[in-house]
This record gives sequence, structure tokens and C-alpha cells, in this order.
Amino acid sequence: MDKRRWIIPTVLSLVLVIALVWGYNQFNQKNDYEKALTNHYQRLFYDTKKHVENVQVSLSKALVSDSKEQNILLLSQVMNEAYFAQDKLSQMPVTHADIAKTQKFLTQVADYSYSLIQNHLDGEELTNKQRETLFNLQGNTSNFNKELSALHDKVLEGDFNASRTSARERNKLQQANKEMLQTRLVSFEKQMGKSPELIYDGPYSDQRLNKKPVGLGNKKVTRDEAKRIAKQFVGDKKVDKITSFEEGKDISKVAIPSHTFNVLPKNTSKDMAIYMGVSKQGGNVVWMVNPRRVSKNNLSMKQAEQEAAKFLKEKGFTNMEPNYSLKYDGVAVFNFAHKEGDVTVYPDLIKLKVALDNGEIIGFDSSAYLMNHQKRDIPKPKITPEKARESVKIDFDIDSTRLAMIPRGSKEILCYEFKGKYKGSDFIIYINALNGKEEDILQIIKSENGTLTF
Amino acid sequence: MKKRLLNKRFLAIFLSAISFFSIITFYEFKKPVESSSKYEYYQGSKVLYWGTTGQDVKDVQWKLRNWKYYNGKVDGIYGADTYRAVRRFQSKNGLKVDGVVGLSTARAMGLNFATASRGAAPATSTAGINRKDDVYLLARAIHGEARGEPYVGKVAVGAVILNRVRHPSFPNTVAGVIYQPLAFTAVADGQINLAPGKDSIKAARDSLNGWDPTYGCIYYWNPATATSKWIWSRKVTLKIGKHWFGI
Repeated sequence: MDKRRWIIPTVLSLVLVIALVWGYNQFNQKNDYEKALTNHYQRLFYDTKKHVENVQVSLSKALVSDSKEQNILLLSQVMNEAYFAQDKLSQMPVTHADIAKTQKFLTQVADYSYSLIQNHLDGEELTNKQRETLFNLQGNTSNFNKELSALHDKVLEGDFNASRTSARERNKLQQANKEMLQTRLVSFEKQMGKSPELIYDGPYSDQRLNKKPVGLGNKKVTRDEAKRIAKQFVGDKKVDKITSFEEGKDISKVAIPSHTFNVLPKNTSKDMAIYMGVSKQGGNVVWMVNPRRVSKNNLSMKQAEQEAAKFLKEKGFTNMEPNYSLKYDGVAVFNFAHKEGDVTVYPDLIKLKVALDNGEIIGFDSSAYLMNHQKRDIPKPKITPEKARESVKIDFDIDSTRLAMIPRGSKEILCYEFKGKYKGSDFIIYINALNGKEEDILQIIKSENGTLTF
Repeated sequence: MKKRLLNKRFLAIFLSAISFFSIITFYEFKKPVESSSKYEYYQGSKVLYWGTTGQDVKDVQWKLRNWKYYNGKVDGIYGADTYRAVRRFQSKNGLKVDGVVGLSTARAMGLNFATASRGAAPATSTAGINRKDDVYLLARAIHGEARGEPYVGKVAVGAVILNRVRHPSFPNTVAGVIYQPLAFTAVADGQINLAPGKDSIKAARDSLNGWDPTYGCIYYWNPATATSKWIWSRKVTLKIGKHWFGI
């Protein structure tokens, strides 16, 4: 009896000790992770501040400088530092809603600098307007910097207190720090909302974001008419049921406002429906996806390409030329570009997906075509292909040459396209057909699945 | 006699308690090792999954066929049969059963294509550049965020992520957008680390190839679970599956 009595408490106390040791380990581990994370955020914060400072300094130097060469160097520094700041800001634990405009500001500062560098390289001077814009940007940056400095002081204060307060208070402090970060950034965010749009020509500019399609046509199309178009596109006989997607009140604000449909072919299960969009203006099929499975590869790529070309002709797209292709999952994807005379117009692009079992078209995307296609006045080239060849590296091994329109900012430019090889890798080089300037270089990546350009 | 039995019982309880806690304590130390191998698995340049094609798949099919896990054609296409065979192989060999041939499964098969293909790649300037990593990362994000959605809903989520990459208010890389703090719940709760289904991989490819059912939207939310009031101040455009899309 006596012997048994001490066993239970011993066991229980041992269990307690083990539990305590385990709990203490967990506690320590949690603290370590917390510290590591706090350190990481501190670093991001200091880095962001430094980068924004550098942007501000380089911008003011660029305003003072009167030499083009110096300006190019300074602006490329601005671009670099602004992208760094944007990247680090986006990693901080703040909701997107609170930093969206600040991020946009930083991205556009970088993008704007890049477009100014291009202007400089083309031999153009800064206009007064551009100088003014730079001045405004510099003002915004310095405001942002001030907010960050104020924040920095508060954070330091918080750290100082943290070492003396108890754990519970420290938690409160951390919470406060977090909120402070949020509110401070938000106050700058509000100021940002008031600054005007930047007008320039780059991939992140507002002009590019708000671009309106030019290739839609004029006719307004009702939902019922659009349904008929969708049915016709798939094939009247194949369709069993057609339903439309629920729309929000701002559907007209998207790039190509469209009626979106769920097209159920006959003898198919519900989750295998075909989806497609028909533009409200002009009644064009913008995109179509048929998620059906393809199990066999019966067709060669050449046959699939012919099917795709036939389909395009049936749908009334003339003068389309296949350019790149990819093959995966029993599907071939083709990029068709518009051809005007002997000029390939790359912006007018249509993508087609061909099932390799029976050649059916199971994917269609004409959004790029609809955004860009219009009647163009393509200029006559001012230099000969031979002259353009002189602008290409002498040991570049050329396979083919042709004329092409390529997008550059919001403009399109006529170029000679040289496809070829350099030291075993494939490239495409574009030389401006009007002034012989090298406009762009694309690298071609050939994989077992097809060709890609970078 | 009885006392002794009881004593034995207590001893048994005591020992099991100790072993229980020691297992829990040691489990922690094992963890980092596990996650690092997981990391390696995602980092490995070659990961074969449903839809992959090529010589590496043929190698896998040969091996599985010789060991009688697979009885289909050796055609180099990772389809349903290959998927099932890989799963059978994985469960027999004590590997994680996910139907994906990563580093550990390949090792178990005695294949070494992950490092071999890296080393044997021709020394051109395009070596190592491909879109496979983007496809797989995007597929994981789609799988975590829109598993239960219709196919078009999956493509739409992929399209939103890619539209964000092109938008000035967001990071400029696919990984940057996906891992932005507080952006996606599937990233915060780890669902992004689930192995993506074949529909998600297909949807990721479609969105990377330019298909965009949202016409350029950069937000989406589920009205049933969205907690942020701010999201409702966005311009609401289209409902696909359970999600509302907006700009």
C-alpha cells in the first residue's frame, strides 16, 4: 500500500517536468521565430527608407544637371532605387489596400525614368514639362521620406522601451508599432491620391492601363444577339444550353466589356461546359475555352496548324499568318499575326488551341487583336534591307529577313526583322526600317514543347 | 502478487508517458530537416507531373513497366495511367503519395535526371531558362485558392495573378505577387503547398498563354468569406463560380 502511494505523485510530477521542458522549448522557439521575423521587417524598413532617400537625391541631381550623359546615369540610378523600394515595400506586412498608391508611385517613378533615358539616348533634351514632372516627383518622394523618417523615430523609441517593459507590455507595443506602420503609410497614401497622373510612354503608365480597344467595330450587341453569335461560333447543332454569367455594375469599366457565357454542348457533363466572351460593342468573340480532355495525339503539328488556319478563315479573319507554337497535354497552341501586304503586324495577335485528337478548336483568344487592329497607314521603308543589315552584329548568322510592325510603348514601328543565330543561340533582331536604329532583340527559347520568346 | 501487478502497470504508464513526451520533443528537431527536403523538392529543376511530356517521362515509364507498376505504352506522356503507377510506386516505397515525380521519387527509382539534365545541358545562353517554374508555382496558387471552382474560375484566378504582375500597384514577378503578405489566404495558411491537380496545371498554362476570362481584373473575392470592407469598394465586374472579380 505504502509503496504505491509515492508512485502516482512521482509519475505525475515527472510528467509535469517533461511538459514544462517541452513548453519552455516551444516558447523559446516561438520567440526565436518572432525575433527573426522582426529583424527581417526592420531590415526591409531601413532598406526602403534608404532607397527612397537615394531616389530623392538622384532626382534632385538630375534636375540640376545639364549634361545628357550625367542625366542618363542619374536616371538609371533613380530607376534602380525606385524598383528596389517598391519591391521591399511590397514585402512588408501591410495590406495592399494601404500601400497600393505608394507602390504605384514608386513603380511609375522607375518606369518614367526609363522612358526619359530612352528619350535621352534618342538625342532628345528634357522638355520643360518633363522637368516640371521630375520636380513634382521629387516633392512627392521627399514627402514620403519625411513620413518614413517620422516612422523611423517612433520605431526606435518603441525599441528602446521594449527592453525595459514586461512581456505583456511589449506585446502591446508591438501591436502599436504595427498600427503605426499602417497609419503612417496610410497618411502618405492619402496624399498620393491627390497627385496627378504621369503622362509618358511605358509599360506601367496610366495611359497603357486605361487603353481602349480600337478593333471592335461600332454595332452595339444585346445579350440575345450575343448568345446567337456564341452559338454560331461553337456550331448551332452542337449546343444544348447556353447561360450567361452574373455581371457586376462596373462591367463597362473592363478592357473589353463583354457578355460572358457558359455554353453546354450536347451529351456533355455540366463541368465540361465551354466558356466564352462576346464583346458588347461589335459582337466579336473575345475568348473561348473548352476544358475537355484530350487523350490521344493523332495529328501532327503541321496538320493542327492547317486546322487552325482553316478555322480562322471560316470565322472571317483573312491574312493571318502562324508564328509561334507550343505543344502540351495533347494540345497545340498557335499564335497567328495579321499580315498587311508583306508586313507582319505583331500587335494584331490571335491565339488558337487545337486538340490533337480530332483537330477541334478548343481555345480561342482574340483580345490582343481586338485591342489593336485597325486600318493602318504603314509607311514605306526608308532604308534597304542591306543597309539595315549593317546595323546588325557582323557575325550574326541570319536565316531570314522580313518586314514587321512591332509595338513600342503606345506606338507601333516598322522594322526589319532578322531571325538568326549567334554563338549557338537563336535571336530575333529588329532594326527600324525608317532610321536604321536597333529597336529590340528577342531571344528564342526552343524546348521540346515548342518555341518561346523572351 | 497483486501489488506487484499494479506496480508494473504504473511503470508501464510511466514509461509510455516519458516516451510520448520525448517523441514530441524530438519531433521538433526533425522538422527542419523535413522542410528542407521539401524545399529541395520544389527547387529541383525537373519535376514531372500530370501533363509533362518528354524523354524523362519515358525513363520513368520504362522503370515502372519493368517493375510491373505500369502496363501502358512508353510514349513519354504523363497521363492518368502513369499518374496511378507513380502513386502505387510511391505508396509501396514509403514515399509521399502525390503522383508527382520529384527529387525523392526519382532517386528511389534510381533516376538522376534532376542533376543530370542540369549538368548535361548545352552551354548556350538559353540553358536553364524556362517557364516550368512559373507554371508550377502558378498552378499551386490556383490549386490553393480555387480548388473547388469550375475550370474557367481557375483560369480567372491565374489571370488575376498575371494581371497583377503587369500592374504598377503590385510586385513585378509572379512569386512577388503570390507571396505578397496578406494578399492570398491560401498562401497564409499553407494550402499553396498542396500538390496541384491536373486541372490547376492546365489552367496555369492557359493563363500564362494569355487567356483572361476576367478582361483585365486585378482583384477577386468570395462574398461568403471576404472580411475586408475595402474590397467591396472595388469596381465589381463579373462573377465566375463563387468569386466576384473587380478592378
